[in-house]
Amino acid sequence: MRWWRGGAPDRGIADLELLALDLETTGLEPARHEIVSVGMVPVSGLTIELSGAQQWAVRPTGADGVGQSATVHGITDDAVAEAHPLQEVLPQVLTALHGRVLLAHHASIEVGFLTRASRAADLPVPDLTVVDTVRLQRRVLRLGRTRGHLGEEDLALAAAREHLGLPRYRSHEALTDALACAELYLAQVAVLGEDLTLRQLLR
Amino acid sequence: MSADVTEVADFLASRAPFRELPRALLQTLVRQTAIRYVRRGTRILSVGETNEVMFVLRSGAVDITDGDGGLVERSEPGTCFGMSTLVERAPSRYDFTAIEDSLLLVVPAETFHATCERDEGFGAYFTSAHTARLRRAVALLHTTDRGGAVLRTSVGDLVRRAPVTAAPGDSIRAAAQLMAAERVSSVLVQQDGRLVGIVTDRDLRTRVLAEGRDPEGPVAEVMTPEPATARIDALAFEALMEMVERKIHHLPVLDRAGGVVGLISGTDLMRLEHNNPVYLVADIEAASDVAALASLGTRIPVIVDQLVAEDATAQDIGRVVTSLGDAIERRLLVLAETELGPPPVPYCWVVLGSQARHEQGLASDQDNALVIADEMTREHDHYFAALAQRVSAGLVECGYPLCPGDVMATNPRWRASVATWRAHFDRWLDTPEPQAVLNGSIFFDMRPLHGAVDLVEDLRADVLARTRHADLFLAYLARHAVGRRPPIGFFRGLVLEREGRHRDRLDLKAGGVGAVVELARVHALLGGLPEVNSHARIDAAARAGSISAGLAAELIDALEFVAYLRMRHQGHAVRSGREPDNFVDPATLTDFERRHLRDAFRIIRAAQQALLQRLPLENLS
Repeated sequence: MRWWRGGAPDRGIADLELLALDLETTGLEPARHEIVSVGMVPVSGLTIELSGAQQWAVRPTGADGVGQSATVHGITDDAVAEAHPLQEVLPQVLTALHGRVLLAHHASIEVGFLTRASRAADLPVPDLTVVDTVRLQRRVLRLGRTRGHLGEEDLALAAAREHLGLPRYRSHEALTDALACAELYLAQVAVLGEDLTLRQLLR
Repeated sequence: MSADVTEVADFLASRAPFRELPRALLQTLVRQTAIRYVRRGTRILSVGETNEVMFVLRSGAVDITDGDGGLVERSEPGTCFGMSTLVERAPSRYDFTAIEDSLLLVVPAETFHATCERDEGFGAYFTSAHTARLRRAVALLHTTDRGGAVLRTSVGDLVRRAPVTAAPGDSIRAAAQLMAAERVSSVLVQQDGRLVGIVTDRDLRTRVLAEGRDPEGPVAEVMTPEPATARIDALAFEALMEMVERKIHHLPVLDRAGGVVGLISGTDLMRLEHNNPVYLVADIEAASDVAALASLGTRIPVIVDQLVAEDATAQDIGRVVTSLGDAIERRLLVLAETELGPPPVPYCWVVLGSQARHEQGLASDQDNALVIADEMTREHDHYFAALAQRVSAGLVECGYPLCPGDVMATNPRWRASVATWRAHFDRWLDTPEPQAVLNGSIFFDMRPLHGAVDLVEDLRADVLARTRHADLFLAYLARHAVGRRPPIGFFRGLVLEREGRHRDRLDLKAGGVGAVVELARVHALLGGLPEVNSHARIDAAARAGSISAGLAAELIDALEFVAYLRMRHQGHAVRSGREPDNFVDPATLTDFERRHLRDAFRIIRAAQQALLQRLPLENLS
């Protein structure tokens, strides 16, 4: 039997403890690329708690430095020099995740990098329960129609937020993206029905 | 680690009053903030509710309306709201409703107050924003002629007792003892008949205790000298503005000559403003004895009067009056239980008749009974007799006269075990006698009020399952209902009372409200319908096909109209110090009302005839 982090599967979302997490990385592949910043903000039930918001810049270990990805997230090698080594940041992230459901947009990135980093640091790989706002957005968009293709462009964080009437944010800063994801989640579950259970979110 | 939540901080920093805050203070505020999302149509906060947060609209739109639905402000992103309860420390004066899906920043009260304290401009902004909103709300009241009590009442009307005063040379301790003895939170300091200062609970805390001052020192050392005052003829509204602007909670009231006549508090004003049944219920629940309840009971007619003026429906007024009556009765039960100890066996206190139907008016007397678990013994009855005695006497003090037919729990016959109640119902249903059925009909309008509700629910379910087959019982009930002739004569004019005290008056109860109540009851029992409220019974009867949908709708309108006239009539009576009754002088009605009244009575007659056709009553002896 699976042990569920952040609550039993039949727990209503009003009682769910989540942690919205965003990693900025030098690329999309955990095996080759590195984490350059981490942003997170807890969501307790249907409330985002800014008191728990955190962000770290992470110092890459590779010889390549930030490389071309700087054009995306705006983190330069200079800024990275002020940053913390991943082995300092990672335990804090894992602690914050304890007892919470991981909430992310395209969560496979966060899960992949966290898993890889935990292994590399010889920390236990977390057994995560994951709610992905991309999947929820698919359901939101399908509410009004029965068929039709949903493209990547419909599911991007900014597009999803716009669709639900949320304000426009400058993206690709880890904490801002984590917050953007958390707000998106509140809007999505408001549309999908606040009497949902965790199990229904995972479906 | 850095966690400047830039999107939120930048958003706030672009708007007053956050724009003027030092960045560090703003960041502290942001870090204590939460975010919530509400769908379009969500009521965020209602009039009369208190809240412990300020909202800042992040995206979407929220309408701010007064209690009557008048739009005070349509807020855009960046608007702060909900802080009136923080500024005034009083329940909300407004309804806040999301009219678009909205994202809200939620700033806790402690953060709000801490920021006000650390930045004077921030606090001042909210005080003036709040008074500006208040002014708009009041202007709205003026333009729509819905002027609330706060506009019509002068400060002098609010003063409830003579002022508690001290002399400047009295010791602080003596002043504190006086406040404790008189149960007041402030004392006015007078010299030669002139007001020179005020000392409040807060002064004793901050200027005496916190500073370690000698309580034997003179009160003049810790008073606020030359305090703000209100003139006796000022409007309550003006006093309210003064208190909000100065952030004070007490205002001494002076007569024209400058003499002190009393003191008003923020609470007095809030109470007044709505005469809101919600506050009254809260007060009732907190009343510590019968005398306190009795004094609260006197406010019910004022509320009815106001609801009539606000054009509330009779159905709604009946609900409000009933829920206040319920609250008083429940409180009396709790007080009696506190005095007598816990009951020896479970029981349920039930209300009957109009109160059970949520149709209580101002002339209603008390109708109640006790349904007690079958384990009860003869010994236990002492407890319940004492309970009934206390509650019934308390109700009399609160303005609910004893039932002339003795349908009260003080009557041993109506203070009985479930089994005995079953026997009563069996007798009414199985071997009915016309008069007994009539007397017993009130027990078919029964609602559990307090205690072991399931005792009554089971009993009622069993009874209702049987009524539809009790032909003779139904026939007697129906015959009586149909016999309540509406007062329309041969020429379709109105029939007035021909003799007695109410000569030349029109009886709105017998052939009006009462007739509809009885019709509705027959239909409910005929169909075994659980509804008790007449309006609900007629609706349910129409759904069950017992009465045509068209006639049902007309009958509900007729009931509403006659009940409304009756409620208005009773409200006037109480206001002018007369006993409320059911007899209205047709000369006080407008042509329009008379015409409608005739129509209403005709509809009631039609409904009676329709029932006659359904039930063959001719064979009854």
